[in-house]
Amino acid sequence: MQREEKQLEASLDALLSQVADLKNSLGSFIYKLENEYDRLTWPSVLDSFALLSGQLNTLNKVLKHEKTPLFRNQVIIPLVLSPDRDEDLMRQTEGRVPVFSHEVVPDHLRTKPDPEVEEQEKQLTTDAARIGADAAQKQIQSLNKMCSNLLEKINKEERESESGGLRPNKQTFNPADTNALVAAVAFGKGLSNWRPSGSSGPSQPGQPGAGTVLAGASGLQQVQMAGAPSQQQPMLSGVQMAQAGQPGKMPSGIKTNIKSASMHPYQRHASIRLKMFPCLL
Amino acid sequence: MEAPPVTMMPVTGGTINMMEYLLQGSVLDHSLESLIHRLRGLCDNMEPETFVDHEMVFLLKGQQASPFVLRARRSLDRTGAPWHLRYLGQPEMGDKNRHALVRNCVDIATSENLTDFLMEMGFRMDHEFVARGHLFRKGIMKIVVYKVFRILVPGNTENTEALSLSYLVELSVVAPAGQDVVSDDMRNFAEQLKPLVHLEKIDPKRLM
Repeated sequence: MQREEKQLEASLDALLSQVADLKNSLGSFIYKLENEYDRLTWPSVLDSFALLSGQLNTLNKVLKHEKTPLFRNQVIIPLVLSPDRDEDLMRQTEGRVPVFSHEVVPDHLRTKPDPEVEEQEKQLTTDAARIGADAAQKQIQSLNKMCSNLLEKINKEERESESGGLRPNKQTFNPADTNALVAAVAFGKGLSNWRPSGSSGPSQPGQPGAGTVLAGASGLQQVQMAGAPSQQQPMLSGVQMAQAGQPGKMPSGIKTNIKSASMHPYQRHASIRLKMFPCLL
Repeated sequence: MEAPPVTMMPVTGGTINMMEYLLQGSVLDHSLESLIHRLRGLCDNMEPETFVDHEMVFLLKGQQASPFVLRARRSLDRTGAPWHLRYLGQPEMGDKNRHALVRNCVDIATSENLTDFLMEMGFRMDHEFVARGHLFRKGIMKIVVYKVFRILVPGNTENTEALSLSYLVELSVVAPAGQDVVSDDMRNFAEQLKPLVHLEKIDPKRLM
């Protein structure tokens, strides 16, 4: 009994705070509508509605909470009705209910809807029961179908009007062009007519005087024979092997290197063989 | 010549690492006018600036696999303007939330004998092009709309042909490293140019 009372107290407090929040947001919304109606935008109104809906949701959750006792089982009975002003009540209700009298009680302690409303609801329920389950189902289905048809029509209309209006000037850019231009500016794709982009360095395969050497190894020949460091630093031999066949930019430089080398051809071949192994590994 | 991501390196002294934040898109020739009008409205109020630039890209091939790239740019319509040398690093990958392409950027103005100097240093010209278009500014953001022209005879900037029927649109900001809020501002600006142009982060490596 004690526990239930405590639970009741606690849940009542929670409910009170939720309702107070709701009241505040409703109040601010009404203020906004009354005072700022000329500056009000639809998104702002939607925000207020969203806030209210959220608060109602939390209220519902509080009510459904397992620790909340069933309020349905509680009964509120007015003990004393008097037409005199009640200061205490005034304070508690923030001035809204000055008198706890016969007019106030039916509205505030109401548990059922108005008699007229109750009549109408009873009428509706009897009508609904009279139709029968099958007919009711059929009606539900036809309603659903009509709703979906309407939605489709609206969407199609919206899409068509949009595309119809924009089709003439829809193509303001071409993604393929974008890619081509970006590639051109970034690394010169399509700009160099006389040389493919990303070509190799100054190596020229099939040098004179190295007839038996492989095309790939010709690069190594230059690595080996360039005694003085040349301006064009030869690239990694692996790269050269892959790109053998590209015409070089400065063939004259290479020829001078070869001419300056004074090694015996047989010695050259032997040393090349030695050089090849580390690269192939 | 790959450096570690610059934004993670502390500033230990010397120059501040400047990063270029970049968004690119393109617009077809017939829609250029509407784009220019929109940019004139959106950007800072100034006389519309047109430019004709000749850019040459130089490569230095070292022992490493990837060559070192420098971009030299000169103005063809403004006499007396200095040459401009620029280094652009590799785009920094990683942060998917970053809306713009970020890369290290070093800019400097040079005198007219830049090409000779670079050739003496061992650079070789890889490709060149002429860029002709309009320049807009909004705060620190620079918007350039230009057409790329291929140079048919090397060295002859008169004889050019357009590369495509579109203009390239670039939105760029050069800012110190670490200011990623810049990319949010860029994205907001790019939103205002839709649906005329879609400015986005395009990775050049994807297009190789």
